[in-house]
This record gives sequence, structure tokens and C-alpha cells, in this order.
Amino acid sequence: MNRRVYLDHNASTPVHPEVLQAMLPYFSERFGNPSSVHGFGREARDGMETAREQIADFLKVSKDEIVFTSGGTESDNLGIKGLAAARGSGHIITSQIEHHAVLRTVQTLEEQGFTATYLPVDGDGMVNPDDVKKALRADTILVSLMGANSEVGTLQPIREIGRITREAAVPLHVDGVQTVGKVPIDMGAFGIDLLSFSGHKIYGPKGVAGLYIRKGTKMASIQHGGEHERRRRAGTENVAGIVGLGKAVEIRGRDMAVEGARLTALRDRLWEGVRAGVAEVRLNGHPTERLPGTCNVCFHDIESESIVLGLDLKGIGVSAGSACTSGNVEPSYVLEAKGLPLDWAMGSVRCSLGRGTTAEDIEYVIESVVPLVAKLKTLSPVAGAAPAVS
Amino acid sequence: MRYSDTLIDHFRNPRNSGMMRAPDGVGEGEYAQCMDLARFYLRVRDGRVEEARFQAYGCGPTLAACSAGTEVAAGTALEALAEIEDGRIEAALGGLPPERRHAAKVVALALRAAARDAMARRAVH
Ligand SMILES: Cc1ncc(COP(=O)(O)O)c(C=O)c1O
Repeated sequence: MNRRVYLDHNASTPVHPEVLQAMLPYFSERFGNPSSVHGFGREARDGMETAREQIADFLKVSKDEIVFTSGGTESDNLGIKGLAAARGSGHIITSQIEHHAVLRTVQTLEEQGFTATYLPVDGDGMVNPDDVKKALRADTILVSLMGANSEVGTLQPIREIGRITREAAVPLHVDGVQTVGKVPIDMGAFGIDLLSFSGHKIYGPKGVAGLYIRKGTKMASIQHGGEHERRRRAGTENVAGIVGLGKAVEIRGRDMAVEGARLTALRDRLWEGVRAGVAEVRLNGHPTERLPGTCNVCFHDIESESIVLGLDLKGIGVSAGSACTSGNVEPSYVLEAKGLPLDWAMGSVRCSLGRGTTAEDIEYVIESVVPLVAKLKTLSPVAGAAPAVS
Repeated sequence: MRYSDTLIDHFRNPRNSGMMRAPDGVGEGEYAQCMDLARFYLRVRDGRVEEARFQAYGCGPTLAACSAGTEVAAGTALEALAEIEDGRIEAALGGLPPERRHAAKVVALALRAAARDAMARRAVH
């Protein structure tokens, strides 16, 4: 029987057993509509408000500043479009390596007359705070940057950027979908006005998320209907999901620090093991300012999907940096923005560790990947040629 | 992505991989959109392929298609190999998901080129 090792936690995570337990009653016994005034409604509303409190406690913000949504994607859309709609026009600063939920939202706003600057990143995938400062204009209405990149895990210098945006009195949106619950965020010190976070990246359910909106931030709704979420997001709330999200966040508050240290050690062991066994390999992302569980590596002259398939056959789930869709391959735009040459970027593989990952798992992955890469290299007609960049 | 058992077997145990010394024909196929590259070497006797070997850069299905391609080529007359179609390779793999059809394309392309090369060399001799 093959061992099974899941190293794709940046894509999604299994629901924590305590989260599942917390959610279950809200599917059947406490099924009421939280907007209803009777006891059934109150029970559902209480569950939802407990979740709001759990999240507010974790972020050290006020309960009223949390809005529930249907996912990280909606949180990003609501944050950016909601703020843009309240302003009517203006300039938005973001980066080239944002998740599509942000990039395509900003691009859509450009089509509607807003203007945008997409900041570059350095070789480690980091935005330079000075670039934010330089990009600011009199009509800048928003800076939107991710806390951590999902592909390479690099943490952005949000504290420094927050200082700049605060001084300029420009609202700062942080896509914290990969950040919240993984590394500490100090909402006050970082000067964050809008923060997206999502359940399924932190052992909560899929399709439920939140947006923190700092009190006083002028926003317009982008989804219209009832009076839910203090008229900021219409639609009957996903009560069971929200209860799960709240519990998941509470558990992160309890476990995050210890688990972060453990995953950092495992992540570094993985890189060391791969580096020791494979000749042409490089680590993507910042060497230290990086998500605890993220290890993105590039193998030279072999193609990521062949590695993903080879590891899949060994029961190991990782993700490919280059995505081949309908016979068209797109090297990762994040790696391109980092300035990685194509012959390297095509061979990138992301391993993202999580609470279930053990030291034995990591040794098994190292033992599997080293001979696999060696074998794929022997098949390659391009291997052995001088690498484009040393 | 779901792949056939045959494809997975070729990926796990590639047949006839690696270079060939003094081949009678060499051909490459490239699929630029995907950066896939397949190269075949042929040993020919009496107008038929006696042995084919490959090297390839690409996703799992492309590597598997190359392996299957060497088996399809062996025993085939050069004239027939010069006309080989993607469908033959796909069939030899037990099918391909629509998003991975390029694997058969790049292999058929390379095999046709190798056969033409061998025919051209024969004409010179
Ligand atoms: C940085 C980032 N933002 C947004 C999202 C979208 O979140 P969701 O899957 O909850 O819609 C993701 C998910 O991959 C992400 O990694």
C-alpha cells in the first residue's frame, strides 16, 4: 500500500475535526435563518455572532468590522470594488504577483475607467515599499497587496507599506487569504483598512470567508438584496460555514505559533534534502521571510507536470508551477515577475505543508523526488546543456 | 487529470529511452505552445525500423507518448512511418484526455521527421 502525503495545503486544507464538530448542529438542529426574529433564528444568529467574535478576538478588532462572504475571491472583490464604487474614480496600486481574485478585479476596474499600477517584485518575490511610495498619486484611492504569496510563500513587508499608506491617507487592502492564521498580523501596527481571509486555507470549510473593514472606511455594496451583514453584503448567511470559519480562526490563535515553528523546520529539511540529492535545483521565494509551510523549488530542464505526475503515482500531492491547459502552457506569472528564466520556471513544483505533515512524510517525499528527477533528467534532450542562469 | 493504465505504465517504465549511437535517422518534434520537445533516433534495416529510441522534455503524457511511439515505430516501414498520424500514438496510449492531445501530436511529428531523415539518408547512399 502506497503511503499518501498531501503537500498542497496552500490549495486547500482538510477541515479540522473540532471545526466539523462545531458546524454539525447548524445543518440540522440550529437550521434557522439568522434574520428571523423567533428562537430558531436567534440560535442561528448566536452561532454566527460567536464566530464573528472569535475572528474579532483573533485579529484584535471590533466585531462590527467583520463581514462574512462566500470565499476569499468574493472578499477580494468586495474589498476592492466596494471601495472603488464608493470613490467613483481614481488610481489603484497593486502588484504583479497578486492572486487572480485581485488582479482580474483591478483589471475590470481599469476597463471601467479606473487606472492602476502593477508593482514589480524582486528576485525573492517581494514588493519594495519605496515603489509603493513612488507610485502614489494625488488620485490614488487604494493600495491592494497580498500578505503572502500562495505560490512561493514570500511575505510582503506590510508593516512598512502600511506606514506609507497611512501617512498618505490611502486605504490599504491586504489579501490575507494565505496569511491570516499562518503568521501573526498586527492590524493596528500594519495600518490595514481591509483584510481578506478564507476558511478553507486554515482547516475551515470551503466557500466561506470574511472581509475586515476598518470602521469609517467608505464602501459601497457590490451585491444587492436584503439587509444582511449591516447592509454590506446581501444574502442569507452560510451559518454552518461561518460557525466553522470562526472555530477555525480560534484554533489558529491557539496552534499557530507552535505549528509555524514545526512547519518551518520541516520545510527547511525538505529543501535541504532535495538540494543535497539533486544537482540543478533552486528555491523560489524569500529564504526566510516566507510562509512556514511553503517550499517552492525549480528543477532545471525538466517539466513540472511530469514531476507532479511522478509524485502522484507515489501517493504524493504537490502542485505544478506551470499549468498546461488545453495544450497551452503558461509558466507561472509569479515566477516570471520574479525574473526567473523560462528553462527554470517550467520546472517549478510547490510543496505546501500543513498540520498533518510529519517528519516521516518529508523523508518519504525526499526519497521519492530525488530518483524521480534523476530519471526524468535522463529522458530529457535538453538536460546537460549549460543553464541559462547559474 | 485521469490517464489510462497504459499511459501510466509507459510513464513509469519508459521503453527505449536514451540516445542511440550512429542512428540511421533522427527527427524532432516541437510543440511550442507547450515547450514540449521529442526526439527520436531510428535504426533501419531493409526499409523498416528495427529499433527506435527517444529523448523528451514535457509533461507526463508526452514522455509516455514517446515511449509508446518507439513501440509503434519498431517494425514499421519508413514510408508508413513518414505518414504516421496522431491517432495511432493516441491509440497506443489507450487514449488521451482532450487537454493532453498535444502529447500524441508532438510524437507523431517527431516520428515523421525521423522517418523522412532516414529516407533522405538512404537516398544519398
Ligand atoms: C492569495 C489568495 N487570494 C485569494 C484566494 C481565493 O480564495 P478562495 O479560494 O477562498 O476564493 C486564494 C486561493 O487560492 C489565495 O491564495
